[in-house]
Amino acid sequence: MTTSSTHCLIRLHQEHHSLEDYQGGVPRWCSGCGDNAILAAVQRLCRDEELRPEKTMFVSGIGCSSRLPHYMKTYGFHGIHGRAFPVAEGVKMARPDLHVFVNTGDGDCCSIGAAHWIHAIRYNMNMTVMLHDNHVYGLTKKQASPTSPIGLKSNTTPRGSELEALNPLSVTLGVQNVSFVAQAVDWVPEVMYDIMSAAFRHRGFSFVRVIQRCPEFLPKMFEPWLHDPQKTLLLTHPDGLQLSAGLTKTYKNQQEHDPSNIDRAREIASLDDPIPVGILYRNPKVPCYEDLRHPAQMRTPEFIRAGFEKELDKVTVWPDEDLQTQRAA
Amino acid sequence: MDMATKFQEQFVFHLTGKRHSEELEPIDAVNLRPALLAGFRDLTRLRYDFPVVLVEGGAEGGPVQSLSSVVDNLLKQVAPRGIEGERLRKHVLKLEREIRALVAQGETGPLSGLWSLATAKFASEADETPGKVLAHTGAALEVDGEVLDCTRDMPALLLRHLWQAAQAQKARKFHAEGGALAVKLSDILRAAFVRSDAGRRAESLKASVGGPHQDIFDFTAMSKLLRKAAQDDDLPVARRKRIEWALAVLRSQQFFAPPEAARSSPTTGHHAFCFDDCASAVAAFRKRLTESVELVKAISIAELEADGRYDEAKHDPLFAEFDSSSLGPADMVAFPDYLVCIAAGRTDAPENAMLMEVLSSGLPIKVLVQTEEVLEASSVGDGQIVFGVRGAQLASTALGLDNVFVLQSSSSNLYQFRERIQSGVGYNGPALFSVFSGSAAPASLLPPYLAAAAAMQARAFPAFSCDPAAGSDWASRFSIDDNPHAGEDWPVDHFAYSDEELQRVSEQLAFTIVDFAATDRRHARYFARVPRSHWNANMVTVEQWLSLGEMEREGKVPYVLAVDENDVLQRLVVDARLMQAARRCREMWHRLQELGGIHNSHAERLLAREKIAWEERKQSEFANLKAEATSAAAATTAVPAASAVSPAASAAASAEAAPAERPSEEAYIETIRCSSCNECTQINDRMFAYDANQQAYIADLGAGSYRELVEAAENCQLSIIHPGKPHNPDEPDLEELIKRAEPFA
Repeated sequence: MTTSSTHCLIRLHQEHHSLEDYQGGVPRWCSGCGDNAILAAVQRLCRDEELRPEKTMFVSGIGCSSRLPHYMKTYGFHGIHGRAFPVAEGVKMARPDLHVFVNTGDGDCCSIGAAHWIHAIRYNMNMTVMLHDNHVYGLTKKQASPTSPIGLKSNTTPRGSELEALNPLSVTLGVQNVSFVAQAVDWVPEVMYDIMSAAFRHRGFSFVRVIQRCPEFLPKMFEPWLHDPQKTLLLTHPDGLQLSAGLTKTYKNQQEHDPSNIDRAREIASLDDPIPVGILYRNPKVPCYEDLRHPAQMRTPEFIRAGFEKELDKVTVWPDEDLQTQRAA
Repeated sequence: MDMATKFQEQFVFHLTGKRHSEELEPIDAVNLRPALLAGFRDLTRLRYDFPVVLVEGGAEGGPVQSLSSVVDNLLKQVAPRGIEGERLRKHVLKLEREIRALVAQGETGPLSGLWSLATAKFASEADETPGKVLAHTGAALEVDGEVLDCTRDMPALLLRHLWQAAQAQKARKFHAEGGALAVKLSDILRAAFVRSDAGRRAESLKASVGGPHQDIFDFTAMSKLLRKAAQDDDLPVARRKRIEWALAVLRSQQFFAPPEAARSSPTTGHHAFCFDDCASAVAAFRKRLTESVELVKAISIAELEADGRYDEAKHDPLFAEFDSSSLGPADMVAFPDYLVCIAAGRTDAPENAMLMEVLSSGLPIKVLVQTEEVLEASSVGDGQIVFGVRGAQLASTALGLDNVFVLQSSSSNLYQFRERIQSGVGYNGPALFSVFSGSAAPASLLPPYLAAAAAMQARAFPAFSCDPAAGSDWASRFSIDDNPHAGEDWPVDHFAYSDEELQRVSEQLAFTIVDFAATDRRHARYFARVPRSHWNANMVTVEQWLSLGEMEREGKVPYVLAVDENDVLQRLVVDARLMQAARRCREMWHRLQELGGIHNSHAERLLAREKIAWEERKQSEFANLKAEATSAAAATTAVPAASAVSPAASAAASAEAAPAERPSEEAYIETIRCSSCNECTQINDRMFAYDANQQAYIADLGAGSYRELVEAAENCQLSIIHPGKPHNPDEPDLEELIKRAEPFA
C-alpha cells in the first residue's frame, strides 16, 4: 500500500547496501572465466536497485554457472540438474514479494532442462534469467553441449560434434508468451550491466543469454571477437540500449533495433557473426502466470485450515462412522 | 407605410426594445424555435446518446452506455446478418423507440424492467409473436441498470454512478492490501504464541488438533516434552503492543465497509461521503482527520513490521510525531473521495467562495455544480442582461487554480464525456464538474436535451476540460476540441427550406447565443417578429452584424431566423442589449480558443516575427552568395600563392585540434571494458584492484614490478592493460620486457 509523504519519511531511514553486502565468498571459477563478469554485473545490479538481500533469491541448476548463488550473500537455491526453472517458479508463486534470479548454463538449460525452459517462457513469471553460455560442459571437463559449434572436439565428440548448435535466442523467441529476450557478451561488461538492468526492470520472464568465455577448455573460441570490436553488433534504440560515448567510440558497429518488433528480433537472433548484443525483444503486455493465478480469496489461517480439512477428510479413516456422517452433514 | 418607415420601427426596437407599431409582433405567445432546430421536434424518433444506462457491475463497454449502443450490441449477438435477422432487428429497434418514449414520459427503472414494460405493450397487440420474440431477446441482454433520460437530475445521478465505481475500486484495493497486512500481522502474533510457553500448554495443543483425535492423544505428556524446549516469548512487549495497535486500527477503520457489505453496496462505508454542499463535506473531513492519521500511521507501521524493517531507534520518533501535518494530499489518495453535488440555483456567493477554497486546498473532493441560467437579468439596471456570471463562470475561475481537474459541459454532452468524467473522478486531487442542464421547463421551449445541446452549440456554455494528470503544459491539459467547429466564432450548419414559390432555397446558418436566447420564453422581450412584407435589405443576420465594424452597423438591424409550429420561416429582430451579451459571449469564446491553442495571439505574433526574421536572413544569405560568386569570378584571373601552403596549414590545424591521446609512457587499464575475470588481481592484488563496480584499475604502480605489469597485459584476454614504460630503470631484463610490452602500447 502506498502512502506518499509517509513513505518518503520512512525511506529516509532505509538501509543502503554496498557491493560487499552482496558478496558471498571468493569465487572458485577459473581465472579469466566469464562467470566472474556476470557475477560482478549482478552484484552491481543488486546494489544499484537497492535490493534487500533477504528479499532476493538466486536459483540455479548444475554446472559451473550454477555455483553463482554460493557467491551471493542473498538467499539461494543450488538445485538439481535442469530444474532451476521449476524451483524458481515455485519460489515466485509462494513468495511473489521476492526478487527471483535464475542462473543456468547451456547444458543445464538447453539440454536436460529444455522442457522446463520452454514452459517457463510460456508461464512468463516475473524473474530474471541468465543463461551462462560458454558452449561447453566445463564442470565435467569438456563435453559438447547443445550450443557447441559443429566440429567441436571434446571428450564426448573426439572426431568433432556433428550437429549444428542450438540457438537459445531463436528458441526463446519462438515460444508463445515470450516477453523479454536479450543477448550480452562478457567482454562488454558495461552493456551486460545495462541489459541486466533492463531485464530486471521488465515485469515478466526476462531471458538474457550471456555469451561467455571458458579459458580452460575453449580458450581460443572467442578470440576473433575479443580483438575486433567490429565483430560485435550493438543494438540500440530509444526504448532499448543507449550507449555511452566511450563505448560508442570503441564499438562502432551499431544498429538501431526496435525491441517491440519480434520479426526483426528473430532475424537478428539468427546472426552469429557479428554477434548481436542488446535487447532483441520486449513486450510488457504479456500477462504473468502468478497474476493470472492470483487467488481472489485472502489466504487467512481459517481459509488455509478449511482447505486442509477438506483435503484430509478425503483420506481420513474415521474412528466412528456416526461422527463422519455428522461431520459430512 | 413605406419601407423606410417600416425599417425605422425595426431600428427603434433594436435600440430601445420598445415596439411602436402593431406591425412588430411580440413572440411571448408564439411557439417559435430557431430555424436550425426545426428538424428536431420528436426526439423519441431519433437514435442518439440518450437515454443512457448506468450499467451495474463491471460490464464490457464501460459503466455508462447509451440505450442505442446496448441495443446494437444485443442485435450483433442475436440477429443474424442479412435478411435472416432483418425481422428481429425491426422489432428490437421498434422496442428501443418505445423504451425511449416511455422514458421521455417520465418512466424510470432498470433496463430489464423497461424492456418488459415495452414488450408487454407489443404483446397486447393483435399479433403476439413479436412480444414473445422480444421477451426472449431481452433475456439475452448482458447489461442492466438504471435508465436515465437527459433530465435535470441526470448529471448528478451519472456522476454519482461513476464516482461509486471509482470508490468501489479503491475499496477493493484497500481490502486486498490492508487485508494482506492484517493477515501478516496476525501471523507474527500467532507464530509468537505457538512458540511461547502458553502456546505449548496442554489445552492449547489440544485446541490445535482436530476434534475426533483429541481423546486418543496425551496432550499433557506432549506439552511436557515441548515445554522443555520452549523458548520465551520472543516478541518484545513494545513490538507486540505496536502490532496489536496497528491490527486494531486496520480492523476498526470506518472508511471502507467490510468486503461482504461492500459487495452489496460498494461505496457505503461506515462514514458517508456524499454531500449537498462544500461546508458539510469540509466539516466531515475535519472530523475524520484524526482517524485518517491513525489509519495512515497503522498502515505504515504494518508494512514495516510485516517486512521486518521496523527499527525502533529510527521509526519510533518518526511515528511519535506523526500527526495531521504529516499527511499530504497524496496520502489521501487511498481514502474514499468526497462527492458534493450542488443543485442548480444554490451557487450563491458564500457557497462559491467555499468551493474555491476547497478546490485550492487539494482535498480529495469531487464537486458537481449544476447551472440552469446562462443569460440572466442584471441586478444593476432594469432590462439589462448579463452573460456568464455566478455558476456559469465557476469552471473558468477554477482554471486559475493549480492542479484541479476541471470539466465544463452541457448535460447533453455528458455521455460523450463519460471517459473524461471517469478520469476526473479517478484524479488524485480535487475536481470540478460544471454542467448546464437546461432551463426549467416552463421557461424553455425545448426539451432539456435540446436546450442543453443548444447552449453548447451557441457557445453560451462551451465544453472544455483541463486534466492536470495529462501533462505538465497547457497544451496537454486543456481541450476545447469537443465543441462543434471549434476554430470558428459560431458553428455553421446547412439550412434548406422552400420559398413562397415552393422553390428549394439553401443557405449556411450560424447558430449563435441569440438563437439560444430565442428558445427561452423569459428572453422573449428582446425579440420582435417582423412580417414577411416588412423584410428588407437592412436586416442582417446576427453573425453578419457582429462581424461588422461600429460604423458599418449604422442603419443595420440584426435578426435571427426562426420557425413557428407550422414550420413557417420567421425573422426576429433583436434588441441591442441582447446583442451586447452576444458580443461578450464571443469574446469569452475567443479567450477559450486562445487557451486551447486556436488563434493564439502570442503564437501568431511570434510566428509573424519569426517569418520576418526568416525572410531577412534569407535575403542576407542570398546577398552574401551573390557577392561570393562575383569575387570568385574575379579571382579566376590570379593564381593564389597561398593555395600550395594551405593543405599543410590545415593538417597542422587539425593536428592541433585532435584530442590529446593518453601518454603511452604511463601504465593504465581501460577500466570500463574490464570483465572482472581476476587474471590481473591474481598476479598482484596490490598493484591491481577492483573499483566500486568490480572493475580493475591500477591501484599502486609501485606495488609491483614492470614484469608483473607486462605479464598481466599478456594474460588479459581483452587486452585492456597497457604497461607503458618502466618506472625502475634498474629492473632486470628490461629490454626484453619492453619488447613484450610493445603490442599493448
